[in-house]
Amino acid sequence: MVDITDPKRTKQAASRRDFLKAGLLGGAAVAASAGVARAAGDPLITEIQDWNRYLGEGVDVAPYGKPSEFEANVVRRNVPWLTADPVSSINFTPLHELDGIITPNGLCFERHHGGTAIINPADHRLMINGLVDTPLVFTMEDLKRFPRENRVYFLECAANGGMEWRGSQLNGCQFTHGMIHCVVYTGVPLRYLLEEAGVKTNGKWLLAEGADASAMTRSIPMEKALDDCLVAFKMNGEALRPEQGYPLRLCVPGWEGNMWVKWLRRLEVGDEPWAQREETSKYTDLLANGKARRHTWVMDVKSVITSPSPQAPVTHGKGPLVITGLAWSGNGTIKRVDVTLDGGRTWQTARLDGPSLPKALHRFYLDINWDGSELLLQSRAIDDQGLVQPTKNELRAARGENSIYHNNGIQTWHVNNDGVVENVEVS
Amino acid sequence: MLKFPKSAALAVLALTAFASPSLADGDADAGQKVFKKCAACHAVGDGAKHKVGPELNDVFGRTAGSAEGYKYSNAMSEAGQGGLVWDAETLSTYLAKPKDMIKGTKMAFAGLKKDDDIANVLAYLKTFSQETAAAPAAVETGKTPVETADAGAAVEAAPAAEMAVEKSQGAFGLGRKAMPDEIAAWDIDVRPDGTGLPEGRGTVAEGEPIFVENCAVCHGDFGEGAGRWPVLAGGQDTLRNDRPEKTIGSYWPYLSTVFDYVRRAMPFGNARSLSDDDVYALTAYLMYLNDIVDDEEFELSKDNFASVHLPNEANFIPDDRASEPHYAKGIEPCMSECKPGPVKITARAQVIDVTPEGEGDENSGGGID
Repeated sequence: MVDITDPKRTKQAASRRDFLKAGLLGGAAVAASAGVARAAGDPLITEIQDWNRYLGEGVDVAPYGKPSEFEANVVRRNVPWLTADPVSSINFTPLHELDGIITPNGLCFERHHGGTAIINPADHRLMINGLVDTPLVFTMEDLKRFPRENRVYFLECAANGGMEWRGSQLNGCQFTHGMIHCVVYTGVPLRYLLEEAGVKTNGKWLLAEGADASAMTRSIPMEKALDDCLVAFKMNGEALRPEQGYPLRLCVPGWEGNMWVKWLRRLEVGDEPWAQREETSKYTDLLANGKARRHTWVMDVKSVITSPSPQAPVTHGKGPLVITGLAWSGNGTIKRVDVTLDGGRTWQTARLDGPSLPKALHRFYLDINWDGSELLLQSRAIDDQGLVQPTKNELRAARGENSIYHNNGIQTWHVNNDGVVENVEVS
Repeated sequence: MLKFPKSAALAVLALTAFASPSLADGDADAGQKVFKKCAACHAVGDGAKHKVGPELNDVFGRTAGSAEGYKYSNAMSEAGQGGLVWDAETLSTYLAKPKDMIKGTKMAFAGLKKDDDIANVLAYLKTFSQETAAAPAAVETGKTPVETADAGAAVEAAPAAEMAVEKSQGAFGLGRKAMPDEIAAWDIDVRPDGTGLPEGRGTVAEGEPIFVENCAVCHGDFGEGAGRWPVLAGGQDTLRNDRPEKTIGSYWPYLSTVFDYVRRAMPFGNARSLSDDDVYALTAYLMYLNDIVDDEEFELSKDNFASVHLPNEANFIPDDRASEPHYAKGIEPCMSECKPGPVKITARAQVIDVTPEGEGDENSGGGID
């Protein structure tokens, strides 16, 4: 039994859960503390708490602040069986714990192919070569003298949801949808850098290359490079995190995350694509007929309910329930999100709240009065091009089950009478 | 050249006090050859740094999972916390079958099959352990050790300021002109038409030992893949199967991708360490493993490279997602009575049961009953 009368109770013990327990044990507790005058009610209110009596830490304790210790479970997680080695692997954003549209820097999922390169910005160089009038080398200092822009973009790995092609498998939206993050980037439009070097008229493609141990490379059509790509050095106002490409990364808005080359060191202009490893053996989409699509760059219209979800069960019983989730499209903005409670028989339109920015995450809510009956929750996004998020079965009918990449099918969560949530598929 | 001078005083004592009987048989010179299997992931010797695996100086007497700055698997850290210290006995057990001893170790290596190899490689490693070492020569695989003082001076002698700097002629006048040697150092990409190939050549037969030494630890002796490391060969005619095997021979469209990728990023943890001839030879050997050529004397070179075609090249098509029925223009999504009757559950993640467990906290892991 928790001794709720002990003034030395640890901070951790003073939680809502204890209060509920205290309620059950109330009679005994009051009897046991006979002799002490007690006010009736929640002891968290009627008794003076440590944090109300004793001083907290000063301003010099945490020069770089961290989340509360009570948020220790809000972390990236990996799925060890997915890859051979954590050095060339992926972890997942805890979407079920987050709200709004911006991902905190320390929670942005990581995918790298040769570990996190550690580069002193003073030692970093960006080269532009190939079909240009003047091949150039920039230092980080040079790059920060170009006019810069701030843009909010989602970055989604093409393999997000890739483990779910053959059926529901991972029990949590962190694992089924967590290869995504959304931050505000500060950087120089790629166009300015290419114009500085002078792209020749036959320069139709761009090869972006990283400085890490995988020397990541991807071919990007020049039209996209001149349109909205950014060479970014900040995320959410501070320097890129090492695992996100510090000191410099490419942003390729709306397109698959693998193209957003981190530790960006070189841009080569050419007249043909390069057919690099990550655009031939990987990041190509095998179809049921044995053909494979390549250059499948755009991330399709997609959404997921982040709460309730398997890692975020309903713990409060019947009554008001906030259903919330994220929607996004590589084509532009999200026009509408529909939510069903019955596995797709009837739908109602959810409320979008927060900024609606092109190629950024959108937050939606559906506020319901839960009667405690089972739910089959789904969300369905529609983007400003009129494209509707397909069902998983529609995708399978068109592509088979071996595509790995670009699974934007509608996700179903089953909520049982107790509020426990499971990843399921439905008829 | 004494690389570990302070160890000299200890050496006599150490050799009598700590030398283990099983190591007495080990031959450090033979062990140096065995260590090549390890060198893709581990460095040892003067200035050794962590690579894919931790550096191995002073591994004898080291608590497992304790090398500073190296990120171990939880399993290895726990073994160290549990009191595991590396010595001849524990290392012998570990090197025989790493995953049997430490379940969950990151080390992908399957183990050394021969007891002699283990004894020899331990004898070799012991020469880099201070508590027993007898002044070994520094060895960093593939490189000749240099006198550090001279090397330092050489680096300082070529400051960036002395380079001929030609400013950008662009609108902002920012940056400087890249020099030919700089472009050559970084621009190593190769296209399917052969653009970017360096001079060089290599045969299947020359590629085999290079593969066995540098690649087989992860990819298997025949490209069959160890653990979850990529399978490089086989898988022909499996692309329409339930579980397709996508290899160089069965899936990859262009040979240039093999050459380019090996040259820029392999061996894993020791990128850019192979010569261009090595990469030609390895590429030829991978063609052989994939039945693209069957002659061990086949030589791949810059001249014949672009004439090679991989079997699956024609099966890559442009992105035609927009033509899929569910993306047809003007679809109005159904809002009510969209399905005939109550919806049934057809698949459940709980049955598959592959979700990682939570970290012991109450709110993660899904609260599954």
